Amino acid sequence: MEETRKLASSIHPGSGAWDVIIVGSGAAGGMAAFQLATAGVKVLLLEAGRMIDGQKEYRTMEWPYASLRRGRLPEGERPIAVAEYNMYDRPYGNHPEFAPYKKLMSYAGSTFTRNWVVNEKEHPTTGTPFAWVRARILGGKTNFWGRGALRYGPLEFKAASHDGYDVDWPISYEDVKPYYDRVDELLGCSGTKEGLMQVPDGIFQRPSKLNCVEVHFKRAIAKLDRHYIPGRAGVTTDGVLSKYRARCMGRGRCGRGCDLNASFHSPTALIYPARDSGHLTVRPQSIVSEVLFDEATNKAAGVRVIDGVSRDVMDFKARVVILGAGALESTRILLNSRSRRYPNGLGNSSGVLGCYLSEHLMGIGGSGYIPIRKGTAPTLDDGRPVAPYVPRFRNLTDRHPRFIRGYHFQGGGGCAEYPAMAHEIEGFGSAFKEQVREWYPAPISLGGFGEVLPRKENRVLLDPEVKDAWGIPVLRFDYRFGDNEMKMVEDMAEQIEEMLTVAGAENIQVRREPLPPGWSIHEIGTARMGEDPKTSVTDKFCRLHDVSNVYLADAAPFVSGGTQNTTWSILAMCWRTMDFLKEEMKRGDI
Amino acid sequence: MWRIGYVPEDLREQELVSVGGVTRRGALKALGAGVGGFALWPYLSDEGARAFARIQQSQAPPTLRFLTPAQYKDLDALAEAIIPADRHSPGARAARVADYIDLLLSESDEETQATWTDGLSEVDRLSRERFQASFALLNAAQTTELLTEMSKHERDPQSGLEKFFKTTKEATVRGYYTSEIGIHKELGYKGNQHLPEFVGCKTVDGEPCPHCGQKP
Ligand SMILES: Cc1cc2nc3c(=O)[nH]c(=O)nc-3n(C[C@H](O)[C@H](O)[C@H](O)COP(=O)(O)OP(=O)(O)OC[C@H]3O[C@@H](n4cnc5c(N)ncnc54)[C@H](O)[C@@H]3O)c2cc1C
Ligand code: SF4
Repeated sequence: MEETRKLASSIHPGSGAWDVIIVGSGAAGGMAAFQLATAGVKVLLLEAGRMIDGQKEYRTMEWPYASLRRGRLPEGERPIAVAEYNMYDRPYGNHPEFAPYKKLMSYAGSTFTRNWVVNEKEHPTTGTPFAWVRARILGGKTNFWGRGALRYGPLEFKAASHDGYDVDWPISYEDVKPYYDRVDELLGCSGTKEGLMQVPDGIFQRPSKLNCVEVHFKRAIAKLDRHYIPGRAGVTTDGVLSKYRARCMGRGRCGRGCDLNASFHSPTALIYPARDSGHLTVRPQSIVSEVLFDEATNKAAGVRVIDGVSRDVMDFKARVVILGAGALESTRILLNSRSRRYPNGLGNSSGVLGCYLSEHLMGIGGSGYIPIRKGTAPTLDDGRPVAPYVPRFRNLTDRHPRFIRGYHFQGGGGCAEYPAMAHEIEGFGSAFKEQVREWYPAPISLGGFGEVLPRKENRVLLDPEVKDAWGIPVLRFDYRFGDNEMKMVEDMAEQIEEMLTVAGAENIQVRREPLPPGWSIHEIGTARMGEDPKTSVTDKFCRLHDVSNVYLADAAPFVSGGTQNTTWSILAMCWRTMDFLKEEMKRGDI
Repeated sequence: MWRIGYVPEDLREQELVSVGGVTRRGALKALGAGVGGFALWPYLSDEGARAFARIQQSQAPPTLRFLTPAQYKDLDALAEAIIPADRHSPGARAARVADYIDLLLSESDEETQATWTDGLSEVDRLSRERFQASFALLNAAQTTELLTEMSKHERDPQSGLEKFFKTTKEATVRGYYTSEIGIHKELGYKGNQHLPEFVGCKTVDGEPCPHCGQKP
């Protein structure tokens, strides 16, 4: 907090001269800052949250018995749970049922993340249910992300050519591949070369191995021509050249923040090294409300900031504005940047800003017990950053009769810290204990991620009435799963059941209902890229068609999102955009 | 059981927790049957958590916050009967499960508290009726007799007692397997330590695996 206060009060308009302003410090803002500052560009990074000291705040190794809370939040604080996203009217913040709670968080609020995830009372949303996870802290959601580091491949960039639905990205895998490679080398990515076109290989460090139940499952589903491969993790297992990061020591508690910083977290991996260049200024507690527009030049002039503590309003100026506040937040800032020329939001002459919101279907999964491990001695099965992965197998070369696009499964098995299966074992006494021990090494469970088709009508707008704690209009969601998604859901459930059956699993349980929209935390789109300014918001370098000095560094320009988790693509795409920007700056075009 | 990396530590727990606080009946209806309709569960404050950490370490006699000494004794006996000390490891009593439940109850809403006090008094009533003694004083055979009855329809409990068994068992399982005894002595969990390298199934390295018997 000390550092936050010092930084926030020492940096104000006029206290420095900056070429570029970056909004947000997650994967997108971090990569943008790193690329520009290390190239000598003077950068001001504006982050809505406070600074973070990972050494203190990442409680990586804490045992549950260190506190009786055991994952529960203190009185007065609580996360909104699954059903509530469907049950209660938004905005939650104003809902009388939640009045007794001091703090209300999205579902990702746990004892480990509760100081990072936003309070829904301060940050409400309206419209259809959307489980929107936001972290306002240096590094954003990369402090506790799941580390699944997958590339999009040709099937994503050219999805429309493959099945005729919607449009292709205006770029191809070949355009982005060199940047994925560089991201792998800079940040470290663990995995195995598999030669699968649906999820291209990268430059990998040592993989997370499979444990016993997983090897069994892999062999079983090979009979169905399906793959089960070590998860690809945004974690350095062999080390990277960085004084801030150690290599992975297999504690398996990365989701609370990895205090060795073996896992990619934007602060240690990107922002601190960028700051060491001497060209990056970070201003925390700086909430950007809009991009300032200069009618005379048709260019952005800077951004308006509300100080999170003093609430002072300040206008920071620069030659270039880069938005990396997270796809939906960046779009919200643009929608809120209204001028005579762009009354519906900056860069929105097409009217498609806010449209084509997409993410992944989640919730369909299955579990069971692999008999070969029943009754065997426990082994260390979860000391690694990610579980294995079943890559997409639908609509690769064939054509599924009921739906287009595809899905993948993630998940593994073996001994875990908490024996969740104990809740399913009947009885009591020593016999009960013994049965828990017997099953303890045997469980396996996998969950699916399916592509939600980008659709124009799935969109966000500014709510005309409701505002957040800083007086900024909140997002109103109009987002639903469609027919293709529901057909996919059926197939996902059937296929996970079949795979577990083929593996000879006992006590198979299948979850057939999707989780509410937003659950995947993989939101993409709402400022999609394209060649035609009439149907897209940015060009193929993530720059607004309308205003040539505003760039998007996050997933807002993404056209479609495949089944792959988003972060590695954000990092690669952002690097590519920054290379383009640096060229423009060199040429003097900006 | 259904867990994957993305669902915060334990989705199931989250669902139960939410149900504990907000229009429980409405919430339960929306969640559908089966999602722990009777595992009513509160939060614990920082202060409560610290107090428990002290109790655990000191082996001190309980400082009750909600339950009466008689209720505590019955609950302690109930938890110990569900997860007893045996040749393999200490049980729920040594893991201070009843203290854990008492602390949580001291911070829960009245409806949750009533579920537990009603349940305990029904257990007491039955025990006195049948054996003229409180539950805590029953011998092993008598305890087993009552628990066998109470757990008869565990999948789909009907009577108040059957539901209370399930509630108590959920809490006991949660308290026990998150305790030091549960994690280390009972299950022998090996994770959460610094490893130079993760060794999975040995077949991955081309050897027959001693843990699962699979061949490379
Ligand atoms: C529990 C969890 C698991 C996940 N697992 C995975 C995974 O396995 N693989 C994967 O690829 N992805 C995963 N993700 C998603 C991943 O974290 C995001 O894709 C990634 O962090 C997005 O980066 P970003 O920079 O776009 O946004 P963020 O990381 O959200 O960063 C945005 C930043 O902008 C700041 N900001 C927002 N609004 C403003 C404003 N108005 N003014 C100033 N600053 C602002 C925020 O404070 C924040 O710091 C997971 C996320 C979570 C929470
Ligand atoms: S498994 Fe690796 S990345 Fe995860 S917390 Fe441990 S050291 Fe960090």
